[in-house]
This record gives sequence, structure tokens and C-alpha cells, in this order.
Amino acid sequence: MAPISLILSFFLFISPALSTNSEGNALHALRSRFKDPTNVLQSWDPTLVNPCTWFHVTCDSNNHVIRLDLGNSNISGTLGPELGQLQHLQYLELYMNDISGKIPKELGNLKSLVSMDMYQNKLEGEIPKSFANLKSLKFLRLNNNKLTGSIPRELTTLSDLKVFDVSNNGLCGTIPVDGPFRSFPMESFENNKLNGPELQGLVPYDFGC
Amino acid sequence: MIIEPRLIFHYAMMSPNLKNNLVIFSLIFFILFCASNFPPVVSFYYMEEAHALLKWKTSLQNHNNGSLLSSWTLNNVTKTSPCAWVGIHCNRGGRVNSINLTSIGLKGMLHDFSFSSFPHMAYLDLWRNQLYGNIPPQIGNISRLKYLDLSYNSFSGTIPPQIGHLSYLKTLHLFENKLNGSIPYEVGRLCSLNYLALYSNYLEDLIPPSLGNLSNLATFYLYDNSLSGSIPGEIGNLRSLSDLELSNNKLSGSIPPSLGNLSNLATLYLYENSLSGSIPCEIGNLRSLSNLALNNNKLSGSIPPSLGNLSNLATLYLYNNSLSGSIPGEIGNLSSLSNLALNNNKLSGSIPPSLDNLSNLATLYLYNNSLSGSIPSEFGNLRSLSKLSLGYNKLSGSIPPSLGNLSNLATLYLYENSLSGSILGEIGNLRSLSDLELSNNKLSGSIPPSLGNLSNLATLYLHENSLFGSIPCEIGNLRSLSDLELSNNKLSGSIPPSLGNLSNLATLYLYDNSLSGSIPSEIGNLRSLSNLALYNNKLSGSIPPSLGNLSNLAALYLYENSLSGSIPSEFGNLRSLSTLTLGYNKLSGIIPHSLGNLTKLATLYIHNNLLSGSIPSEIGNLRSLFNLELNNNTLRGSIPLSFRNLTSLIRLRLDRNYLSSNISESFYIYPNLTFIDLSHNNFYGEISSDWGRCPKLGTLDFSVNNITGNIPPEIGHSSQLGVLDLSSNHIVGEIPTELGKFNFLIKLILAQNQLSGQLSPKLGSLAQLEHLDLSSNRLNNSIPKSFGNLVKLHYLNLSNNQFCRGIPIKLEELIHLSELDLSYNFLREAIPSQICILQSLENLNLSHNSLSGLIPSCFEKMRGLLRIDISYNELQGPIPNSTTFRDAPIEAL
Repeated sequence: MAPISLILSFFLFISPALSTNSEGNALHALRSRFKDPTNVLQSWDPTLVNPCTWFHVTCDSNNHVIRLDLGNSNISGTLGPELGQLQHLQYLELYMNDISGKIPKELGNLKSLVSMDMYQNKLEGEIPKSFANLKSLKFLRLNNNKLTGSIPRELTTLSDLKVFDVSNNGLCGTIPVDGPFRSFPMESFENNKLNGPELQGLVPYDFGC
Repeated sequence: MIIEPRLIFHYAMMSPNLKNNLVIFSLIFFILFCASNFPPVVSFYYMEEAHALLKWKTSLQNHNNGSLLSSWTLNNVTKTSPCAWVGIHCNRGGRVNSINLTSIGLKGMLHDFSFSSFPHMAYLDLWRNQLYGNIPPQIGNISRLKYLDLSYNSFSGTIPPQIGHLSYLKTLHLFENKLNGSIPYEVGRLCSLNYLALYSNYLEDLIPPSLGNLSNLATFYLYDNSLSGSIPGEIGNLRSLSDLELSNNKLSGSIPPSLGNLSNLATLYLYENSLSGSIPCEIGNLRSLSNLALNNNKLSGSIPPSLGNLSNLATLYLYNNSLSGSIPGEIGNLSSLSNLALNNNKLSGSIPPSLDNLSNLATLYLYNNSLSGSIPSEFGNLRSLSKLSLGYNKLSGSIPPSLGNLSNLATLYLYENSLSGSILGEIGNLRSLSDLELSNNKLSGSIPPSLGNLSNLATLYLHENSLFGSIPCEIGNLRSLSDLELSNNKLSGSIPPSLGNLSNLATLYLYDNSLSGSIPSEIGNLRSLSNLALYNNKLSGSIPPSLGNLSNLAALYLYENSLSGSIPSEFGNLRSLSTLTLGYNKLSGIIPHSLGNLTKLATLYIHNNLLSGSIPSEIGNLRSLFNLELNNNTLRGSIPLSFRNLTSLIRLRLDRNYLSSNISESFYIYPNLTFIDLSHNNFYGEISSDWGRCPKLGTLDFSVNNITGNIPPEIGHSSQLGVLDLSSNHIVGEIPTELGKFNFLIKLILAQNQLSGQLSPKLGSLAQLEHLDLSSNRLNNSIPKSFGNLVKLHYLNLSNNQFCRGIPIKLEELIHLSELDLSYNFLREAIPSQICILQSLENLNLSHNSLSGLIPSCFEKMRGLLRIDISYNELQGPIPNSTTFRDAPIEAL
């Protein structure tokens, strides 16, 4: 009787990603997480030396990515830790898509970030405490998602934060009142399970969350 | 009876002599004697069988082939018995009892085979011929058949249920045919059957549970069919079974625990099905089992520890399933095991040290699981091991030095783990090693020179680690090496010239390191080399002309180094080359004309160097060229006319040179072009309407040149255009309404031209527009209200034009705008307070207009505003109280 050859398949011949550009690799990894039915990411060719000629990507004169503009682009899928490698990113515009899953804590590595717009998606989980590292952040819009947990108190240290909107989520606990939170309008917090502004010195910050 | 005619003849001859009783008696005696013994008298038996065989012979397609069945003939009286014919055997009574016609090239069908003519046939073997058509149901008439083999033919149709009449059948071989339909349940009536082989057909539907009645069955082969449904539990009744192979079907459901009753089973192959559920622990009862293959199914759950009881097991294949849990330590009891493959599962936990008892183990595949912990140092005891793959796991710790004892090891795969520490010199003891893959780990330290002892090594993968130090020159001793990948480490020092000895090397990847010095000219000796990637290092000096000897080279990556000197003209000899990337170096001199010989070249990247001279017209010979980047050099002169031949081009970058050509003459229609950048040159002439005939064009950048004339309206036909930059030229006329057709336009930059007239409201339909710069032109009249529809805009610059009337209120819709510059226009009326809704705005310049009225106090609420300039207007009233205004220089107000 014919003996059976059991072929153990290997996947060893992985061709090198011929891009030394870690930012291009990071964006390409991000692309692999996305479903892109309208092909807005079609021009993202990973074989190019850098991603600076890709659509919706803007670089500075040193070929560092400073803008990612994918707002309202019919994108679904999740975000990944690789986004944290875009060390020079200033504008992360992912608003009005179908992005789900958690916000990667690695976004806290984006030290140059000025604006993070991820409103109107299906993001869940907590707002990462690591956002407290985004010292240049001015605009943070996370409204209309499914975020839970409390507003990290650490965000009160973001002295440049000018616009903050977390309305229409499932956040709980109290609203910080320190630092930039002194001046955010109440509309930025509505439609959550928040317990109102923190009463300093009287109630623990995470009370009821 | 068929013998009558001849008997009647004899009686008729005798009837006149009836008086002589003695004679009659003698004659009758004689006749009876002859009937039982004398062949001439029994010829009516074998004439029938001979005629049946001859009839079938003539039905064969190739019966005229003289050599085929040449003994099958009646034309000589002495040969009228078929018993002497080739392939025919008779019993002592002269009756055909065996037909054995294997591998003689019979071509035809069985329709003319008279099965009923052979009531004594016990053996029919037509193995390996070219017989086709259905198996006739009359086959059920050979009621004494014990052995039936029709395998290795092209029989089609279904297995006739009448086969169930063959109650003496011990062997039924129908494998390697084209039989379809289901297995008749009547096969279950063949209670004498020992050997059943129906494999490699197109049989479908369920395995009939009636097969569980075949209590004498020893081998059961149904593999390579399309059988579906679950494995009948009745198979567990086949106590005589020693070999059960149902692999490569579409069987689903779980493995019946009753299989554990098959106490004589030596081989159980259920691989390549869709079996689910867990492996029944009863399999551990099969004490005679020596081969167990359940791979390529959907089995889940954990590996039953009872498998450790299978003391005769030589092969255990459970790979490509969804098995989870840890590897039971009991596997270490399988002292006869020589092949263990548990790869491609979801196994976790650590590798049990007990595996070191498997002294006969030759193959150990645990790759692609989630195994953690360290590699047991006891593995060094597995002296028979020749293949060890633990890749794609979460193994940590260092590589145990004891692995250096595995003198039979041919492949060692530890790639894609988290192994740390250094590569120990003991690896150099593995003299049988042909494949060493330690890539994608956290290995540090230097590459041990002892690796140079591995004289059989064909593949060495150490890439994506943290190895430092220099590449040992001993690597040059590995004469069998065909693939060397050390990329993505921290290797420094120079490339050892000894690598030039690796005459079998096909792939050499040293990229993403810190290698310095020059490229050794000895690399040019690697005549087998097809891929050479040295990019992203610190290599300096000039490129050795000897690289031109690499006649098999398909890809050469030298970009991102500090290479200087000129591009060797010898590169023109690299006739196999399809990719040449030399960008980001310090190469100078001219582009060699000889590059025009590289007819297979698809990608040529020489950007960001110091190349001078003009572009050789020979580049136009590269008809296969997809990608050409010559940007950021100091190239002068005009574009060769031959560029019109480069019709395969997908990507063309000539930007940032000193090229000067009439842009309308130098190019033609490129049906596949997606990207063209000619910016920052001295191109002149007008933009051709032909660009509208490049249907895939995504980016067109002609900025900073001396282009004149109008924007051709036909450009609007490039429906995929995402970026259009014509800024800093001398373009005149109006912006064509047709630009409003660009459904995918992301960036539109027409700044610093002499465009005039008023803006078409249709530009407001560019719904994807993120960046719009029309500054420094002569555009006039009002800013279209439709611009309020450009909701993705983050940059809008209309400054230095002649826009008049008011700021359209609809601009309030541009909620993502971070920069708005309307300065240096003739805008009048009040600043609409709606502008304060632009919450993302960081820079606002409304200066040098004729705006009047009060400064909107709502500016105070524009919390993100970083800079504001409202100077040189006719505004009045209090300055809003916000930090932006407080911080603004007085000239801005």
C-alpha cells in the first residue's frame, strides 16, 4: 500500500520588507488591520523608501510623518501599538469611521501630537493613562464612541489641551477639575455615566466607577 | 448444460448399431470417460470461456496491437484452450479460475466482458491498465470471486451494489480510479473481506455504517475521496483491523471513542479532514499503534495524556489543528517515537523536559504554537534528532549549549521567539547542519566564528536580532551556503572579503546594520548571487565595478549608505537585473549609458545622490521599467525623447534637478502611470491635454518650474487624481470647471501662478479635499459659498488674490480647518461671528483686507487659536480677551 507522505509546510521564505523606514512599516502594519472598502489606502506602497508620497500621509522636510488624515473614510478594523512609532506625528485624524477595539496605550508615545480626532467610531475600553505624556496635545476629541472607565486624572497635566470632548460614551466616575479641565464646557462630558465634577478633598477620584 | 450438441452427435452416429450392447456399453463408457478426463471432449467448456475472452479482447481499443494478448488466439487447434493464454490460469477441471492481466496497457471497457462465463473464477486482477467506463453490475455474478483488483485504471461511475453478492471476496481493490457516488452499503455484506481499498477516487456521501460488519477486515483504505459526514462508531467493531486510513476526505464530527477498541490497529490515519472535537482519550488504548496521524483537522481541546501509553508509536502527527493546553509530559514515555509533529496548534505552557527520553526521535516539530519558557537543556540528549523546529513560539531564555551535542541535526529552526543571550560557539559542532534559522529573536552578542565549521550549511538566518560585532570572516568557509541573511542587527565593521568564496550563494542580505568600510570587490565573485541587499548601512567608498560580473543578479539594493564615486558602467552587464536601488548615497558622475542594456529592469531608483550630466537617452530602451526615480540629483539638460517609449511606467520622479525641457514634447501617454513628480526643475512649455489620458494617475506634481499656458480642461479626465500641484509656475487663465470632477482629489495646490477669473462653485464638490492652496494668483470676485462643503479641509489658503465681497458664512462648516489664510485680498464687510465655530483653527490670517465692523468677541472661545492676524483692516471695537490676542504682536492687530 502506498505510504503516505506527510508534508509539513513551512513558511520560511519571508521576503524582506524592503523599507528601512520604521514609520512606513508602522503605517503599513496599521493598514493590515483595516478594512478599506473604498480603497483610500490604495496608494500605500510599502516598497517605497518612505511613506511620504502616500495619500492621506503628510511628511515634514525630513521625511517624518506629521499628519495622518483618514477621517470619514469608511474604514473599519482596529488600531495597533505600531501607531506609537510615528514619533513625529502631529495630527492623527481618524474621525467618523467604524474603528473598533481599544485605544492602544502606545499612542501615549506620540510626543509631538497636537490633535487626536477619533470621534464617531466604535472604540471601547478606557482612555489610556499614557495620554498624559502627550504634552503638545491641544485637541482631543473622543466623543461618540463606546469608551468606558474613568477620565484619567493624569490628563490634568496636559497644560496645552484646549479642546476636549468625550461626550456620548460610557465613561464613569467624576470629571477632573484641575489644569485645563477648569475651562472645558459641560457639553464635552454629556451623555456618559459621569458623576459630575470631582469635589476636591471630599470624594475619591474613582468613586462610583 | 452447454455440452449437449456434441453428445447428441455421438448418439446419432451410434443408433444403427443398437444390437451390439457390448459396443454400446463400451461407447457410453468411453464417452463418460472422455467427458471427465479427455480435453478434446470438454472443449465446449473452454470454448465458451475462450470465446468470452476473445470477445472482450476484440472490444479493447488497442486489440490490433500485435503484441497485446498475442497468445489469445484460436487459429491453432492445439491452442483452443485459454488455459495456456497469458494471464489465464485454470483449475484442474480446465475451468478459468484466475485472470491476472496487470500493467500490460489494456485500453477499453468491461462492458463486453461476460462475467457469467466464468463461474469458477476466484481471482480477477486488472491492476494498472487503462480501462474505463462503468464497473458492470454483472460483476456480482462471479460468485466464487475471492480477489478483485481493478485499481489504477480510469473506471468511472458508481460502485455497483451487486458487488455485495461476492460473498467469498477477501480482497476488494478499486483504488486510483474515477469512481464517484456513495459506497454501497452492500459492501458491508462482504463478511469474508480482509482488505478493502477504495482510496483515490471521487467517492462521496457517508461511510456506510454497515462496513462495521466486516469483522475480518485487516486494512481499510478510503483515503483521498470526498467522503463526508462523521466516522461511523461501528468501525470500532472491526477487531481485526490493523490499518485504518480515512485521510484526505471531508469527514466531520468528532473521532468516535469506539476506535479505542481496535486493539490490533497499527496505523490510524485520519488527517486532512474536518474532524472537530477533542482527541478521545480512548486512543490511548491502541497499544499496537505505531502510526497516528490526525493532522490537518479542526481538533480542539488538549492532547490526552493517555497517548503516553502508546509504547509502539513511531509517528505522532497532530499538527495543523486547534489543540490547546500544554504538551503532556507523558509524551516522553513514547520511547519508540521517531517523528513528533505538534506544530501549528495553540499549545501553550512550557516544553516538558521529559521529551528528552525520546531517544529515537528524528523529527521534532513544535513550531507555530504559543509555547513559553525556555528550551530544555535536556534536548541535548536527543542524539537521533535530525530536524528540530521550535519557531514561532514565545520561548525565552538562552539557547542551551547542550544542543551542540546533536550531531545528527540537519535543521535547527528557533526563529520568531524571544530567545536572548548569545549564539554559543557550540552550535559550530553541529557538523550535519544544513539549515540554521535563529532569526527574529532577541539574540545579542557577536556571531561565533565557529559557525564557519558548518560545512554543510545551506541556509543561515540570523536576521532581526540584536547581534553586534563584526561578521566573522570564517563565514566565508561555508561553501555550501546558498542563503545568508544577517540583516536587521547591529553588526558593524566591514564586510569580510572572504564572503566572495561562497560560490553557491544566491541570497546575501546584510541590510539594516551598521556595516562600514567599502563593499569588497570579492562580492563580484558570487556568480550564483541573485539577491544582494546591503541597504541602510554605513558603507562608503565606491561601488566595486566587479559587481558587474554578477550575471544572475536579479535585485541589487545599496540605498541608504554613504557610497561615493560613480555608478560603474559595468552594471550594464547585469542582464538579469530587475531591481536596482542606489538612492540616498553620495554617488556622483553621470548615469552610465550602459544601464540602457538592462532590458529586464523594472525598478531603477538612483534618487538623492549627486549625479550630474544629462539623463542618457538609452534609459528609454528600458521598456519593462515600472519605477524610475532620479529625483534629488543635479541632472541637467532635457528629457530624452526616448522617454516617450517608457509606456510601462507606473512611477516617475525627476523632481529636484536642473532639468529643462519643453514639457509638452518630452512625454506621451502612459496608461499605467500613477505617480509623476517633475517639481523643482526648469521645465517650460505648456501642460499637455494628454495627461488626461493617463487613467490611473494619482499624483501629478509639476510645481516650481517655468510652465506657461492654461490648465487644460482635459486633465479632468484623470479620474483617480489625488494630488495636483502646479504651484510656482507661470500658468494663466481660469481654473477649469472640470477640476470639480476630481472625486478623489485630496490636495490641490495652484499657488503662485497668474491664474485669474472667478472660482467655479463646482470646486466645492471636491468632497475629499484636505489641502487647498490657491494663494498668490489673480483670482477675483467672491469666494464661492460652496467651499463650505469641503468638510475635510484642514488647510485653506486663498491669500494674495483679488477676492472681494464678504467672507462666506458657510465657511463655518469647515470644522477640521486648522489653518485659514484669506489675507491680502479685497474682502469687505464684517467678520462673520460664525467663524468662531471653527474649533480646530490654529492659525487665522485675515490681514490686509477691507473688513469692517466690530472684532467678534467670540474669538475668545476659539480655544485652539495659536496665531491670529487681523491687521490692516477697518475693524473697530475692543480686542477680545484671550491669550491668543494677548500674545499677538501689536502689528497683527
